[in-house]
Amino acid sequence: MIQISQLKKQYKEAVVLNVESLEIPGGECFGLVGNNGAGKTTLFRIILDLVRASSGDVKINGEDVSKTETWKAKTGAYLDEHMLLVYLTPDEYFQTLSKIYGLSDADLQLHLSKFTELFNDEILGKKKYIRDLSKGNLKKVGIAAALMGNPEVVLLDEPFENLDPSSQIRLKKLILRETESTKVTFLISSHDLNHVTEICERIVLLEKGKVIRDLRDKSEMMNELEAYFTG
Amino acid sequence: MFFTLVRLQFLKSLRSTSFAKSVMTNIFLGFLILLLLSYVLGAGLMLRKIVEIVAEGQDPLAVVNSYLIFFFLFEFMYRYFIQSLPVIELESLLHLPIGKAKIIHILLIRSFFSPISIIALLLFLPFSLDVVRTQAGLAGAGFWMGSILFISWSIHWFMLWFKQRFEDGIIGLIVVFAVMTLGAGSSYMGWFNLGEIMKPVFDYAIASPLPFAVLFLIMLGSYYLCFGFHVNNAYLEDLTEEENVRFVNQSFGFLSRFGLAGEMANLEWKLIIRHKKSRTYLMLSAFFLLYGLIFYTNPAYQSEDGGISAIFIFVGVFITGIFMIQYGQQFLSWNSGNFDFFLSQDQGVTALVKGKYLLFIGISIVCFLASIPYVYFGVEIFFIHLATFLFNIGILIHVIIYFALWKPKPMDLNKGAMFNYEGIGAAQFLIIIPMMAGPYLIYLPFSLLISDYAGLVALGVSGIIGLIAFKPLSQIIITKIQSNKYEISSSFRQEL
Repeated sequence: MIQISQLKKQYKEAVVLNVESLEIPGGECFGLVGNNGAGKTTLFRIILDLVRASSGDVKINGEDVSKTETWKAKTGAYLDEHMLLVYLTPDEYFQTLSKIYGLSDADLQLHLSKFTELFNDEILGKKKYIRDLSKGNLKKVGIAAALMGNPEVVLLDEPFENLDPSSQIRLKKLILRETESTKVTFLISSHDLNHVTEICERIVLLEKGKVIRDLRDKSEMMNELEAYFTG
Repeated sequence: MFFTLVRLQFLKSLRSTSFAKSVMTNIFLGFLILLLLSYVLGAGLMLRKIVEIVAEGQDPLAVVNSYLIFFFLFEFMYRYFIQSLPVIELESLLHLPIGKAKIIHILLIRSFFSPISIIALLLFLPFSLDVVRTQAGLAGAGFWMGSILFISWSIHWFMLWFKQRFEDGIIGLIVVFAVMTLGAGSSYMGWFNLGEIMKPVFDYAIASPLPFAVLFLIMLGSYYLCFGFHVNNAYLEDLTEEENVRFVNQSFGFLSRFGLAGEMANLEWKLIIRHKKSRTYLMLSAFFLLYGLIFYTNPAYQSEDGGISAIFIFVGVFITGIFMIQYGQQFLSWNSGNFDFFLSQDQGVTALVKGKYLLFIGISIVCFLASIPYVYFGVEIFFIHLATFLFNIGILIHVIIYFALWKPKPMDLNKGAMFNYEGIGAAQFLIIIPMMAGPYLIYLPFSLLISDYAGLVALGVSGIIGLIAFKPLSQIIITKIQSNKYEISSSFRQEL
């Protein structure tokens, strides 16, 4: 699904990302962990072609992301509020997206119904612009938007951050349900080791831009990560 | 404590991203302010001469006194548009262990240190020293000057209260409109002569210290009105209130006929009416529709041979294209908060650009249609508007956008538009050159060699050629954005 090879990003002398090779097969829930400045967000931005790689390339379904655009139709992402149209109300935003993705009203309703629990009656039907929502609700809107249009790949940067505990659990269930039913490939970065080990089959640990662990054994994940982060 | 706060303010302006990135803009702005102030001073020094020429044989002081009220009405207007509110910094100070009263005092007093506060002084001090002193002595001149300053400064405090209280509301607009009608109504329409009514006040100010003292008290009163309001409302929810959602689900149905581009145009329209800065631009285009009244009625621009005055081309370009000229200058900066959204959509940038084109052309059409009544001043005005309209949507639109794409800068859309230079770089100043020269490059050769109408035809035809070549021309813009997308996106994220 996603192939990364010889990827490097550097600002003048400072190398912020250096991934020799990373392959993420379809249908996998892929977790990305690492301390601040490890390069998680930069990696996501390069995958989404928002930042230019200094060298190397990223391929989604065999397409080089910096050369074509068709992969965008099958890729959903929420990294930060720059990806939202904050001057719309959430309803207007979802309608706009449904037009972009060519969904019917029924499709849109069906999609939004998946989020009823997560939204907790605080998002839809409110006369409030997105820019006036709380950080947690902003995140919920972004996540629901990223999952629109039946994407094959979804990238979420710190999806659990700013969410209240119930919403975190609901989101976790939602992601698990989506991976099972639709075979979406999730790429999730998180500081919350409990959540990420619970939903991801594979976790990659970044340190100063380099992949230093690639964990696939679910039973060992937590111990290894805890050992790394406490040490 | 006071100095710590002053130092914080200083650091804030020094370190704000917009300052660091546009030192040139700030220097330019500084020069501009100095230049304007020196004009004011010049006018002040010449005031006596001017009055003697305009009102020959009358006592200059009497004339000035009878017109002073109009100066203050005018001051009211420009303060309404220019003066910015000091409470924006409140958020970062409120939680500190400093008394609210103290914070408000400091913010209000700081707002007083502005070039606007000395305009009245520069304009009337020479006159008071020269004319009033010889007629009424130094004390009279002092009282007169003081009275004028106190009125001007009362307006300063009053305006801070007024804008905070009513800004963006219907009441604010009504009051401003009323002030305009009062000024214009009294002099142009001859309903009543406001100047003569208010003249005794200023006459009395020379003879007696009483108006001086009363106006001083009024100034104090307006300061405390303003102070009291701000202290009582020094809560984030009151002063930096979130905007009410007023325009939900309003969109132009007909735009959806244009597919994705139409959808983007709809989005852009929402962006415009939901942000203060862009709303101001939209209002300005409505005002600019009246721009022609100044020029088309002015006998100075009527050429004797019945031809078309060359300046009218410029007026036509402005009337039919002011929105794209102003809004288009910051083409992508309007989307600086959500550029990544368009980047992450398939064909998102293309749709965004086409949507903007659609909107610009649409608003131009509206402006053109609204300008048809100018036919009253002659059929040639209609043809001028038609030619410049075609030129605007065929040629100028691409030129402006092309220039605007030179290092676009991020900007905060929720600040006012007047004297707000966020999102403005060298490119926005350079745009003026092709904008002014472009239409004349095409018009003048034909107009001089053949006839004025040939010049208009040339303008119109060039516009039609531009429209026919719309696809390749807009593709140049799209390609330019695509090839710079990483730089644009990261500067909008303010990472550079």
